[in-house]
Amino acid sequence: MSVATEEGRTESAETVRKPPRIPWWANPRVGLVILLILLIALFTALRPAFLDTKLTLVPLQSDISVYLVVGLAQLMVLSLGHMNMAVGRMAAMSAFVMGLVHDQLGAGLVVSLLLGLIAGGLLGALAGLIISRTGVNSFVVTLAMDFALVGLITILYTSVTDGVAFPTLPAGMDALRFDTFADYCLGDVCGPRIPLVVPFAVAAALLVGLLFRFSRLGREMLMTGANIKAAELSGIPTKNRIVQAHALSGLIAGLAGFLLAANNGAFSASIGGEFLLPSFLAPVLGGTLLAGGAVSVLGTVLGATLTQVIYKGLNLLQFQLDQLQLYIGLVLLAALSLDRARHVIAERRGAKL
Amino acid sequence: MLVAENLIKTFPGVRALDGATLRVSPGSVHALLGENGAGKSTLVKVLTGVYQPDGGRITLDGDDLRLTGPMDAQAAGIGVVHQERNLIPAFSVAENISLHHLPHRRGVVDRARMRAEARRCLGLLEVELDPDAPVATLSPAQGQLVEIAKALSLENRVLLLDEPTASLTGDEADHLYAVVRRLRDSGRAVVLVSHKLEEVFAVADTLTVLRDGRSVASGEALAGFSQSRVVDLMVGRAYEQVELARREVNAEAVPALRLADVATAHGHRDVSLEVRPGEILGLYGLVGAGRSELAKAILGLGRITAGTVEVHGKPARIATVGEALRRYRLGYVTEDRKDEGLFLDQQVTRNIAVTVWRRLARLGLVPDRAERRLALDFVGKLDIRISTPRQVAGQLSGGNQQKVSLAKWLAADCDILIVDEPTVGIDVRTKAAFHELIAGLAADGLALLLISSDLPETVALADRIAVMSDLRIAGVLDNDHDYPRMSRQIIRMIHAETHAEAA
Repeated sequence: MSVATEEGRTESAETVRKPPRIPWWANPRVGLVILLILLIALFTALRPAFLDTKLTLVPLQSDISVYLVVGLAQLMVLSLGHMNMAVGRMAAMSAFVMGLVHDQLGAGLVVSLLLGLIAGGLLGALAGLIISRTGVNSFVVTLAMDFALVGLITILYTSVTDGVAFPTLPAGMDALRFDTFADYCLGDVCGPRIPLVVPFAVAAALLVGLLFRFSRLGREMLMTGANIKAAELSGIPTKNRIVQAHALSGLIAGLAGFLLAANNGAFSASIGGEFLLPSFLAPVLGGTLLAGGAVSVLGTVLGATLTQVIYKGLNLLQFQLDQLQLYIGLVLLAALSLDRARHVIAERRGAKL
Repeated sequence: MLVAENLIKTFPGVRALDGATLRVSPGSVHALLGENGAGKSTLVKVLTGVYQPDGGRITLDGDDLRLTGPMDAQAAGIGVVHQERNLIPAFSVAENISLHHLPHRRGVVDRARMRAEARRCLGLLEVELDPDAPVATLSPAQGQLVEIAKALSLENRVLLLDEPTASLTGDEADHLYAVVRRLRDSGRAVVLVSHKLEEVFAVADTLTVLRDGRSVASGEALAGFSQSRVVDLMVGRAYEQVELARREVNAEAVPALRLADVATAHGHRDVSLEVRPGEILGLYGLVGAGRSELAKAILGLGRITAGTVEVHGKPARIATVGEALRRYRLGYVTEDRKDEGLFLDQQVTRNIAVTVWRRLARLGLVPDRAERRLALDFVGKLDIRISTPRQVAGQLSGGNQQKVSLAKWLAADCDILIVDEPTVGIDVRTKAAFHELIAGLAADGLALLLISSDLPETVALADRIAVMSDLRIAGVLDNDHDYPRMSRQIIRMIHAETHAEAA
């Protein structure tokens, strides 16, 4: 009905300003896809082994899965304009609970996973509760929490295990580590060469996408991030939404911890130690703002993929670890600067981003 | 002598200054008077270089003055003490006084000279204050004096004081006026912006009265005026009678919203109000009288410490806006649509439907279709001009934004609405449309509490008018829509109240 009536109104005092369309090249997702294609072509040209399924593509998919889920954990609180600096340690605590439940109670994979996820969720909820009740900045609260958990995790692992990792894994974890769908056949038809951890990450991404796109909970989190005063004055229980977003962040961090444990073949104290930076990179490269109010799940998928492709490619080109970090840092800076440049050019051309 | 002639300043949709003229002589106290929205603040901002005028000229002792920023005004010797505090609480008195020109020796602050300067300036005011005391430890009145000392430190010849006694007690105000007289006797020109006529008559020598951005009196000696003559000048505001359909309010009906002897943590005392279904109760008052704060206390955003709130005759305990909305169908259209009313970066549909997601949701998911249909329904009803439903609220004009801010409460099916300053910053045409809209809502049976600082608007729309002054209800008047009479009654009511306070 809006389209039909607009024509007749154009003569009125207030002319309808038609917002200029955002040019396709100003969409950060498009930039990421182009960058990805270029990098894959470059790495393949330099080292044809980059397209080797067993050597590169299968482990690459496992890594992308882990870091996609890590990015999603951070995305949950970025929707509020918050940060979760304890994302890695929440993953570690969650993984510890999974290992403990299996090791001490002999529980199976599913029970261990669920209890671990709950532990992660509770830790996140605690952070959210402190933030929403005290009004202290999320950065400070989760940073403090991270410090506390670092110590706690070491203490827990030394008191329950040999100090490094649980000695056993629930049945089925090895399959997650080594198998792809190609190992499972119905008669002559076998699955693609996709590791078994991938569906976990895909499901997580779909659920988070669904949450923000269609659910009241996710939308109200975004509104809280967009303008907390207006959200409060629109009847949104903003404090609850803050707690819930942080709880989900902890829970998803727990899933990332589980996937990494599956990839590494152990529930160990070191899980999550490398999560913090990538957790921001994936969403931010994908166009999610630190300010809150807008998220992109697809962008997070692309961001996580890009980071891992760069990492894998440079690794294959036999860069040393320190060089690797230097170049990844430079590539990411370049990517972010390009993104900013695109925004500025698009804005000059009159598009409101 | 500072002369501002025929100043014009236009904002989108509003001509805030429309030929304002001000003449201030050295060694005199000049009162700048006018109703809410008459252009006083804009004039002060033009004189201090915050705004650049679109027309007219400013001269100081005959020389043209071009003020492109606050620094220019400072250089010309024009100082201002704003109504809101501009001191840094953690800094000491001396540091605040010398903030813009800290004495230093090779980059290191010379604290001895800074203290001496503070003592000199405070001495001019004959005020005893410890230069090393942090400003945070001072009373509001002492803070005010520090601000004046700060303005004196800059060797200002003209000093603008904007509502200097708003937060002072009677004794403190008396002291301040003694200071003002001393400044006058030292040859400075003091411009006093005040709502309190008693004070103005006690201290000022000459006056300017603004009305709709124009000077209706400029530079005349105050001695020739009586207080009621000044009130007449202030309220004789250009007033276009809006022809709104008359409504009949059932005076017997159970009030939709009733406050009885309500006190709040903000400081409201003995507030009693009733709004019936189909009625518009105007809540008029000066800026800062505590009207929005009262609304927020009703919604659970402030604490109610005494008295009762009743909705449709039943006691209501409202802890959150969500509860007000769901249990009592009570909505609040905020005065600050950009900060509190809208999600500027979000789509118009979401801005409208945000209050009803709970109702629309099935299994926690909000169906896009239903949301869109509902939002577009209100876009049509309120005639909100959008190019596509996906357009973000920040791209709309002020009037359309305000409609979106209202639409979300109508979408939520509220039957009691508190509408706070609905037409601030909206052009005249949209304003008229808005007035019709509000009257239409009342005709549909909604109970409306209309908070407004716009007297013509209040008189045009309200069935009864409650006047709030200093966190109390000064009185409730039946509105006979006779503007000159109503406005005089209301203005007198406010001034009688402040007068009683001062005594």
